[in-house]
Amino acid sequence: MEYVSPEGLRLDGRRPKELRQLKAELGVLASADGSAMFEMGNTKVLAAVFGPKPIENRSQEDEKRCLVKCEYAMASFSTGERRRRGKGDRRATEITKAIRNCLEQTILVELMPRSQIDVYVQVLQADGGTRCACINAAFMALAAAAVPMRDILASCAAGYLESTALLDLNYVEDSGGGPDVAVAIHPICAAAFKPVAPLLSNLQDSGGGPDVAVAIHPNYQDRVVLLQQDNRVAIETFEEVMQLAVAGCRAVGEFMRQQLLEHTQKLAAARAAGEQQAAAAQEDDDALDEDDY
Amino acid sequence: MAAAAAAGQVDADTFRRLYPDDYLRKFVEQGLRPDGRPLAAARPTSIGLGAVSTTDASALVKVGSTTALAGVKCEVVPALPEAPDAGRLVVQVEMAPLCSATTRPGRPSEGAQVLTEQLSALLGSVVDARQLCIDAGKVAWAVYVDIYVLDADGSLHDACLLAALAALSSLRLRAVSIDESGRVQTGAAAAAAQQQQQGERPAGQQERRLALSCQPVSLTCGLYRGRLLADPTAEEEPLLEAQATATLDESGAVLGFAAGGTAAVGQIVVVQCLEAAKMRGKEVRAMLQQALEQAGLAADADAS
Repeated sequence: MEYVSPEGLRLDGRRPKELRQLKAELGVLASADGSAMFEMGNTKVLAAVFGPKPIENRSQEDEKRCLVKCEYAMASFSTGERRRRGKGDRRATEITKAIRNCLEQTILVELMPRSQIDVYVQVLQADGGTRCACINAAFMALAAAAVPMRDILASCAAGYLESTALLDLNYVEDSGGGPDVAVAIHPICAAAFKPVAPLLSNLQDSGGGPDVAVAIHPNYQDRVVLLQQDNRVAIETFEEVMQLAVAGCRAVGEFMRQQLLEHTQKLAAARAAGEQQAAAAQEDDDALDEDDY
Repeated sequence: MAAAAAAGQVDADTFRRLYPDDYLRKFVEQGLRPDGRPLAAARPTSIGLGAVSTTDASALVKVGSTTALAGVKCEVVPALPEAPDAGRLVVQVEMAPLCSATTRPGRPSEGAQVLTEQLSALLGSVVDARQLCIDAGKVAWAVYVDIYVLDADGSLHDACLLAALAALSSLRLRAVSIDESGRVQTGAAAAAAQQQQQGERPAGQQERRLALSCQPVSLTCGLYRGRLLADPTAEEEPLLEAQATATLDESGAVLGFAAGGTAAVGQIVVVQCLEAAKMRGKEVRAMLQQALEQAGLAADADAS
């Protein structure tokens, strides 16, 4: 099979270093504290967050940090062939652990001792890169639930087929037998080194009160949260593919930042409208009270 | 204490959490529900067809915030020896752990199993399994209907049934061809093979839609202090004295009635429930027809 045409186009018409179309929607489920739908091309993932809440199983209580519980599931109609995935599914267990690991590193677990956060991720439609889409969806749902976090958590995969590094593989490319590198990063922290330095100096100029908060950032510089790779690959190629995946993560992170900003602005607008209404109602009430006297 | 709270010393949200029953009663006495609808009204409903492209047919149904996603997948399987001229319809309801704060991952919950059982029986009578036969005694279609509850906010039976019905109504079984060696092909390859085979023994079938014997639609009603509440939410459901789900087809025949709860349901309530379900059925079928037309899948078979 030819994965990259002589014109340099891939099977779905993308260029080698192009992401699939990203889509995100926040607050899609009414019963969850936070929820998000995240799409990377044809891969569609739904995530929901319940918590932070009091811990359910006392024996798991930790007085220093909160417990992050995670569950990953694939709808049986999400793949080409229908399959019944049982509970003892090793692949699901592995992905669940990868997601939980990423989230534990991102959530400020030490701020919420003796509590628990449940994160459920459901793949509705799978077309390669489900692992990365799940991590992105889970992050968006956590953000929608206003769970305190260190940074944006962005994830993206890249591979290497026909001597070309390819970003964000779809299912056909993923099963092409080439190496596949999945990366998740904290993009602000990773990209922070340059933009933060002048910020840091500014703050020091102005007395340096909150410099601790900013000083943390350089410590996290280039922090890779998840890095998974399969199949044999030369070390030079690996570096190239990894750099591409990290660049993809930054792009995904920027997309998510924009989406969160828009979502927050909408919420703020709705809240302002609500407050105005409440104030108007209050004035009416006051007017009535005055009439009474 | 409740009286003190009612005197306005506690804000509405706190009152709602502390005294859910008093909260609901105050609304119902006024002939209203906490979400603002009248007692006998169902929540706004929407049907989206073709939500998942990896399926043969799919439908996303929202009733208020209750959300159900049904996906249909068809597979060619060997015919069962006990039913050589019939295929299989397998219905499965799954409550995804993200559907509510109380659903836990792991074994399917009691509610999900009950729904699976009820819907399997119902849809089994709607889809004649003999039309799923491809070559008697050899191969047949297995039609898998997987229904995922994504948001459980009450009256799950109605939303799940509607999602399954919408998905099955929009389903087209792919063309199938069987060559001399018994190899089975589906989809475009099968259509091409059939063209070549013209004149010979017609093995296999062309693309066709699934014939449904009727369009079942259900409505759940709850009894609360002698009043009937249609389409209760998850907040109202635990406060109800009794709950009944009536399933009717388009001619008004009753396909199923399930009642349960702490109080026995009187006959008048049963009649009221059936009447409400009949009205709701009309409304929902029109909505489904519209969705099918929009998707260019209007059931031409229905006209005959």
